[in-house]
Amino acid sequence: MAAQEAGLDAEFRQRVADTMTTVLARLLDREEPVTLDMRLMEELGLSSTFGLELLLELEDQLLILIDVELMDQDQMKTVGDLATFVAGNSRPA
Amino acid sequence: MTALEAVSVYLPPVRIPIESLAGPLGLTDMQVKLFRRFHGLREVGRDPDVSLYGMLMKAAASLDALRGQEHRVRYVLYARTMPVVAPYPVNPLHEVCRALGLEHALAFTVTHQSCASGLLAIDMAGRLLAADTADRQDGQAGPLALILAGEKAFTRDAQMFADTSIFGEGASACLVSAFGARDRLLAYACNVRGEFDSATGENDARLQREYRPSLAEVMRRALDEAGLTLDDIRVVLPHNVNVVTWQRMCLLLKFPLDRVLLDNIPANGHVFCADMFVNYKTACERGLLRPGDRYLAAAVGAGGGATFAAMVFEH
Repeated sequence: MAAQEAGLDAEFRQRVADTMTTVLARLLDREEPVTLDMRLMEELGLSSTFGLELLLELEDQLLILIDVELMDQDQMKTVGDLATFVAGNSRPA
Repeated sequence: MTALEAVSVYLPPVRIPIESLAGPLGLTDMQVKLFRRFHGLREVGRDPDVSLYGMLMKAAASLDALRGQEHRVRYVLYARTMPVVAPYPVNPLHEVCRALGLEHALAFTVTHQSCASGLLAIDMAGRLLAADTADRQDGQAGPLALILAGEKAFTRDAQMFADTSIFGEGASACLVSAFGARDRLLAYACNVRGEFDSATGENDARLQREYRPSLAEVMRRALDEAGLTLDDIRVVLPHNVNVVTWQRMCLLLKFPLDRVLLDNIPANGHVFCADMFVNYKTACERGLLRPGDRYLAAAVGAGGGATFAAMVFEH
């Protein structure tokens, strides 16, 4: 889902996406860049624990609280999906 | 029909914030933050001065319905997560039976389904009693079974599970009859998945993917067997693995999160096989169950294989 379609603050969504790709590359110890179209589980092998660690790092770095209880993992196929969810379902910490 | 006649619980008064466990368990700051922020774990009970025998006795001591009915107890089942909890020849179960005047009962441990062994013990107790009393269903004077649960968090494996849960000490005692009128067991569904053996770890990723759908499947199967739907369920008594698992279960099941009793996760952690009984007591104390209400207990046992289990009761 594109940020515009979801009625999101495009600038904030971009900040979420940039932070997310950087954190993911570090968490997964990847030298190649992580891109928004990459599939979280199948391609990056992101486990539940790493997924939560990613969210925690996003909260710390962006000073936000993410509404995890609204997050349907099955809808979060790609890095971009997750960035869109976080941008649309978080509030200032 | 299998019925829970009475339930009592002992939770240690000594409270340990999970931050205090970071050193002993070798947790990183990030792990502690994850436990607190997303898993919803805040503190657990520990009772360094009370043995396993002592904890089980404290739970049984407040089971008033047992007083004067000891002669009716035919089975004592100890539902356990860990396969071994005491060095040979120490046997806390038999010590408890002697102390309670239950030497005549057949006492044994139910394990191999890890934290789902508590629900298995209820099913097993009911079936044993029903077989014994098949020729006289007078209920009130019939034989009883006592189910004990709860363990000491005595090793690292007994203190924490795979970055997802922290165990709390505590114990429960539950009196079961074959044909009682209250808290009747309407249905039990269980799925044992031996391929999910954490010792090899080779199917861990698959277990993560299939965990919630597998638990949802047994919950739906138990409801089908009871002739009910989730809409008929007043409250779900979860296994206390963590909060985020149940947030995601509710999304999957389209079930309101506020009807899952999560209060004991931050307060007591995962109390081994006693979760269901601890949560049942809390539900009763908070007035969440009225006569006739249906409720569902769910459990997952993971370790040497995984077991997904669900039971539907009528209060």
